[in-house]
Amino acid sequence: MSDDSGQSRRGPKGFTPDFLTELFRNPLDPGYADAAARRAKTGRAARSGWSVGPVGLVVVVLLGFLFAVAYRQTMAEEPGRAQARSGLVEQIKQRQGETDALSTRAEQLREEVNRQREAALGGSHAARLRELEASTGLGRVRGDGVVVELADAPAGQDALSDTDAGPAQVIYLDLQSVANDLWGAGAEAIAINGQRLTSTSTIRSAGQAILVDFRPVTGPYEVSAIGPGSLRERYEASGSALTMRQVAKVTGMSFAVRDADDLTLPAAPEPRLRYAEPAVSPSVSSSGGDESSGSGTSPSPSGGGR
Amino acid sequence: MIAVLALLAGVLLGLWLDPTVPAALQPYLPIAVVAALDAVFGGVRAKLDRIFDDKQFVVSFISNVLVAALIVYLGDQLGVGGQLSTGVVVVLGVRIFGNVAAIRRHLFRA
Repeated sequence: MSDDSGQSRRGPKGFTPDFLTELFRNPLDPGYADAAARRAKTGRAARSGWSVGPVGLVVVVLLGFLFAVAYRQTMAEEPGRAQARSGLVEQIKQRQGETDALSTRAEQLREEVNRQREAALGGSHAARLRELEASTGLGRVRGDGVVVELADAPAGQDALSDTDAGPAQVIYLDLQSVANDLWGAGAEAIAINGQRLTSTSTIRSAGQAILVDFRPVTGPYEVSAIGPGSLRERYEASGSALTMRQVAKVTGMSFAVRDADDLTLPAAPEPRLRYAEPAVSPSVSSSGGDESSGSGTSPSPSGGGR
Repeated sequence: MIAVLALLAGVLLGLWLDPTVPAALQPYLPIAVVAALDAVFGGVRAKLDRIFDDKQFVVSFISNVLVAALIVYLGDQLGVGGQLSTGVVVVLGVRIFGNVAAIRRHLFRA
């Protein structure tokens, strides 16, 4: 080693032009070799064993001190990070709770408004209003229909399917196509995990989450639909049902359609129309709306006639 | 042997005193530790090469720590602190690896 370092020091300055090569070939400080050469010249023997001079000892103590301090520092930062994370989780939970409480309150207030309105309006007007609300998704509805259940593949079953990205998951397109085909099969009201679909509803994805009307829904997903007695047969024959059955068979996702009696679908939150205004005179539009709601299943918001 | 005892004493001292590092110095602590490790492994290797020198060890320790901190500080001022500290860690890491390899050759003849 010593001859290597001796060879590496060219010239009196002890620097070589190619720093990186030198670094890889001889990582030891050249100073040690210099000192050894000096000692050899003066004839002083190097210390033997593991003894170090007093100054060296102080430095070694300092080293231990530095390590301990750095260790302490890193350890001290760790709970801070964990605390921040748990604090954030706490906040999310709290806000979710607040949102739930507020939407329950909104629900109650809406019922209250409905009751007051019915009391104020005459019987026939109130009945027509209720019907309109039910058909547009703004009122609670009851009836027989079907429930389509979708769930992610359980973790660990992905070994059977040759996916690289973990277990197969339900994506927003699945929910979209299920909802569309349910409209197509004659459904008059649809709710996904208790989120009623209206004419302005969206089903989209944000990262890993699926948002229905900007509210996140999580699996297992339950798409409830109220429709005619033949709803299930007609839906089973649709494209999304066939596709999802095949997908479920291949990937281990679960997909099931069952008849359900006496479903109650909740009301959707009131859509705030900020830009669109009723265009024609109210008498004409109301009679037109009445007719179309009477004719039933055709006003499907997301392309039911696929 | 004494050196190991001194190291232990330093660790215990640090744990016992538990000093708080000023916030301004906190970013330099990890780099300082890496630089100190480089000095330590250099010293051990020099010891095994029988060319250890007290003065050289002390100077290399102090200058390593200071220069590493200075480079990171400069990088912070120039807005490339992360990259420069990566560079410092790479250079010191290469040196540590080389020295540890030499130590290993000394100890195990392999």
